[in-house]
Formats: sequence, C-alpha cells, structure tokens
Amino acid sequence: MKTTSLGRQLIAGVLLAEFICAASFSGVAVMHEMHGHRRAFDVMLRGRGDSLLGAVQDAEDPDDNVTVDPTELVVPRQDLYQVLSPTGRVLGQSPATAAELLAHLGGTNKPGYFNFTVNGTWYRTIRFNGVRVIDREENGGVGLRRPVTVLYASPTNGMWHQTIEAVQFYIVASAVLLAVTGLALVWFLRRRLSPLQELAAIAARVSTRSWDFVPPAAVLRTSELAPIALSMDELLKGLRQAFERQRQLTGDAAHELKTSIAVLKSSLQLLSMSPRTTDQYAAGLDGLQSDTERMEELASRMLALARLEEAPAEPGESCELQVAVQAVAERLRPLAALKQVVLDVCARDTARVAIPADDAEVLCSNLMMNALQHSLPGGHVSARIQLHGSIGELHIVDQGEGIPEAALPHIFERFYRADRSRSRNSGGAGLGLSICKAIVERANGTIHIQSVVGKGTEVWVTVPTTPPHDGASLGG
Amino acid sequence: MRVLIVEDEVRLANNIAEALRQRCGFAVDCAEDGGDGLALTEYQHYDLLLLDLMLPGLDGLGIVRQVRRRKDMTPILILTARDEPAQVVELLDAGADDYLTKPFDLGELLARAKALIRRGKGVSHPVLTLGRISVNTVEQTVRCAGQLVDLSPTEYRLFEYLIFRPRAIVSARELLEHLYDYNWQHHSNVIEAHISNLRKKLRTVGEETTIATIRGRGYRLEAPEKQL
Repeated sequence: MKTTSLGRQLIAGVLLAEFICAASFSGVAVMHEMHGHRRAFDVMLRGRGDSLLGAVQDAEDPDDNVTVDPTELVVPRQDLYQVLSPTGRVLGQSPATAAELLAHLGGTNKPGYFNFTVNGTWYRTIRFNGVRVIDREENGGVGLRRPVTVLYASPTNGMWHQTIEAVQFYIVASAVLLAVTGLALVWFLRRRLSPLQELAAIAARVSTRSWDFVPPAAVLRTSELAPIALSMDELLKGLRQAFERQRQLTGDAAHELKTSIAVLKSSLQLLSMSPRTTDQYAAGLDGLQSDTERMEELASRMLALARLEEAPAEPGESCELQVAVQAVAERLRPLAALKQVVLDVCARDTARVAIPADDAEVLCSNLMMNALQHSLPGGHVSARIQLHGSIGELHIVDQGEGIPEAALPHIFERFYRADRSRSRNSGGAGLGLSICKAIVERANGTIHIQSVVGKGTEVWVTVPTTPPHDGASLGG
Repeated sequence: MRVLIVEDEVRLANNIAEALRQRCGFAVDCAEDGGDGLALTEYQHYDLLLLDLMLPGLDGLGIVRQVRRRKDMTPILILTARDEPAQVVELLDAGADDYLTKPFDLGELLARAKALIRRGKGVSHPVLTLGRISVNTVEQTVRCAGQLVDLSPTEYRLFEYLIFRPRAIVSARELLEHLYDYNWQHHSNVIEAHISNLRKKLRTVGEETTIATIRGRGYRLEAPEKQL
C-alpha cells in the first residue's frame, strides 16, 4: 500500500497556500500598478494630444484652413499622431507610419482611448475633437472656428516596463519570503511532529514478544497524541495480561495433563515391574481405573471451560434457577447424608435466568459440592434462591473450614487450589469455580465469595432475570 | 539408602515410592507440600531428594535453594511437567543435579536415582569393591572373590550403605535413619541383629573383612591391611 507522509502533506499544503497568497498579492500589485500607470499614460496622451492641438496653426491660405506646424511640436519620435479635418482631410501627421494609424483608426469617429498593434508594438491612442480659432483679429475678435479631430498614439511597452519595475520589488520580496517561510516551516513542522514520529517508532517496536510501550514525555504533553498513547498503553497492558493468562493457562493445562499421564504411566510400569499375584493385579487395575476416570474428568472440565469462554451464549436459552438447585440438591442428598451434613434448600421464588439448564446444574452442583466437601460432620449447608426486583440471587452458605484469606483473590483462577494436595485427593482439578464464574458471566451475572477460616463460606450468585416466554425452551 | 519424595500428586508419589522400595530396596518418605518437604530435609538423613517442581506452599526450586543454602550436598532430582530450557537452566544453576520431565519412564527414574546416590557418595561405577568383596548395586548382590554371598534385602542394604563409606564409623542411629522410612518403628537392636547375621554370612564364605562394633559409637567395615 502506498503510504503518504502527514508531515510532507502539511508542508506541501502550507507552501501551496503561501505560494497562492504571494502570487495573488503580486498579481494584485501588478494590476494596481498597471491601473495607475495607464491613467498616467492616458493623462500623458491627452497632454500630448493637447500639445498637438496647440500646434495646429492657420495655414494662411485662401480658404482659411489650418495645418500642423511641426516646428511648434516637440513629441517623442516613436509617437504617432494625425490631425484630421471634419471632412477627413489630413491636416498633419507624424512622419512615420501615419498610414497605419489611419488604417486602424481612420474609419471611426468616436472620441476616446483605443489600443492597437502595429508590427508587434502595442499602441494606445487618444482620439478627441478640438476647435482651433483662427483669424481672430480679422473677424472682429470672434475668429473662425475650425474643428479638428486629433489622433495621438504612443507605444505602451514603456508603460509595461515601468509597471514591472514598480512591482518587481514586491515579487522578489514575496519569493524570498516564500523560500524563507518554507524552510522555517519544514524545520518547525519536523520539530513539532517529532512526538508523532516517536510515538510511531515506539508503537512499531511492540510485538507479542516485546510488550514494552513507554510513551515519551513529549507525546504525553501533546493534547492530540496523549489520548492515543494512553489508550494504546491501556490496550497493550490488557493484551499482555490476556496473553500471559493464556500462556499460563496452556502451561497449567499441560502440567495437569502431563501429571495425569505420569500417574497412569508409572502405575502401569510399577505393575509390570515384577510378577504380581492376581489380587495385586486387580488392585492395580482398580487404581488405573480411577486414575483414568480422573483424567477423563479433567479433560471434560477443561473442554467445558473452553466452550464456556470461547463461544457466546446462544440467545434465548434460559432456565429457572430454583429448578436447577432443587434437582442438584436431590442428587447430592445421599452424599450429604454420608457426610452427616444437613442440606437445606429454600427455592420458592421463580428466577428465570439466561443460563442453559445444563450449565445451571453444573453451576449449582459445583458450588453445593464445594460446600459439602468442605463441611464437617454435623455441619449445615443452605442454598437459597431469592428475587430482588429483576435480579435473581443464589446464596449458598456452609459452616465448613473456610478459605484462607491469602487464597481468596485466586479462587476463581483456573487450576488454582487453596489446598492442592487435599483437592487432588478429592478429585478436583481446580477448575470448578472457574467454570462457575464463566457460566455466571456469560449470563451477565456476578459471583462473589466471602469466607472466614473455621467459620464457613458464603457464595452469592446474582443474575439478571429474563422474561418467562422469551424463547424459553429449556427448564421450566 | 533413604529417599525423600516431595510430590503433591499422591498417586504418583506412591508409585515412585513403591518402585524405589521394591526395585532398589530404598527407604522412602513422601511429603505432599513444599513446606513439609523442606522441614524433612533438615534432618539431613536422606541420600536423595526427589522434588516435584510445582508444589503447594514452597515450590521445588525454592526447596533446592534452601537446601543448598544450608550447604546440604544431598543429590537432588527434579520432576517437572514443564521443560522450557530457561527453567531447566535455572533449576540446575540453583543446585539441582538432574531433572526428569513428566510423564517419565519409571525404570529411567530408578536408574537416575541410583546414579545420583552413587555420585553423591563419590562413586561413579555401579560395582563397588573392597578387597575381595564386590557389591553390584544394580543387581543388588554381594560377591566375595566371585562367590555369591546370600544376603537378605535388609542385610544387603546395610552392607551397601557401609561399603560406600569403608572404615568410617557409622552410628546405629545413622543406619536406622538411612535404611528405614519414618513409618518404621526405630529399634537399634534390629540393626544389631542384622549386623550379626552379616558377620556370620561373610565368615561362611571365608571373608576376612568384617564389621566391627565400636562401643558407644557405632559400626565400621574393616578389611585386613594386607588386602588393601
């Protein structure tokens, strides 16, 4: 993919804007100067035309005509002029190219200014009508009125030169300013954009092997970049934790599986190490049977947890929590009787929650089994379902040995066992509470455990209830 | 020889203990958590420590460090379900002598255990000799000039322990500690009875090497000067 540089785009954009400014400024200056010069030129043309009119003299002929007296006239050599009588007769003209002037303008009679070009030279022309009074003395002071048309043209290249000279300063100054500000801009933008580049460089170094992301102080001081850097930092911390949890889980799972296999393998090898009696073989096989069952249990729990954590809950699946509690309690009664523990279930409220019926039973059985296993003979385990508005609450209390305070923050961690050897002997893999938590959280609920060593443990599960006929297909 | 197994997986610990007792004739104690295991090592009457790496309480690495800090040179074999090189390096650097990854072969574990015990006593070959006597620790047999001496398992263990330290005085208490696990009722007169039987059997094959009783201090394996 083609990449574009923010810095370069900014520099190019600003330079373009500056160039347009400078060009417009120069253009306006040129136009302004041109206007001024044209007006001055027009005034000059008028003045020279007037001089030309002044040079119109009595021709002293019988018809009392007028003529141009060149001796009275001092005009630049390149200027062209012509004086015409109302009948179109040429009274006088400049020595050179007068024919061309006529050819261009002779046909029209409107006074005013005109432009024309002769042999690539631009001319500006004034045409005006004037009156020359002659023979004033001979006609009683009134004189004879001789109207004439004056045409006067002067090349405009001089005006252009003057205009350019006048605005040259502005153009050069603009170009110099453009160059200087351009360089300053490059320097300034590079400097100001350096936090962005640092952020990019640091972000580019982050990988699953190296999680180090320390945003530089300059980035954190930049109000536009600080939120990006901080949220990246948060995100990376979360990701890193997730990765490490995953790695820890994989390691723990491998450890559990390898240990289970080690038990099986060593049992088999011990059995085949020397000849045994039939009874010894039978006892060995019994041991292998229970080892295999434990491995099966471990595998099924690991898979259950993986299923709960990977896939989102299917919408519409729900069950009534009190039904699950009752069903589990019935199954656990023989064990409670064996352990001489009173199992008391109070589930009168109907709490329909978005937990599949099977999962609800797993949840209740894990929690109640824990309570029973950690209870002493003569103890009491109670499981209650209560509704608090739209929240269903499962509350399980035992009077067992309790959980040490140091272990409490870890009890929901996978493969965590507060008392490992004991739990191993009782068949747990340290996944029961993790599974409970996953089930509850999938239904947007919470699970909370409070415990005092020697007094007992209390578990609260709160799950939002769902409407009774919201696609309910299970439980009930 | 007496071995301590610190392993929280009780079934596995029992299997290993059973194999060590049956195949090597070792006395074996088991501990299920790191703290208990470390407390047991403080008696220093073990000839080998077999430690699981992941333990409740104190982990295997922690035990290795504590044991080595005390200048206790007992051989240590680690059992681990994780075999990342960094972890193995850390373990060996901390003072462990060897490691085995789970699931392991029980036969290999026994062979490594015996090799570590031999090394721990300064012997590298499985056959130990003193004069005309040779003890094969693999076959668990004693021969005198090639002739097999018929010993009971306890007598063999006693003799094996003594021949690892020829001419050193070994107290009855030390023998008890190294030959029996803590489930055994300790009676020093049991040792005396086995020693007496050993002496008789050695005499029967015409061996002059004998076990002397040093009153109030213990026993000593004594070989005639000319045989050395």
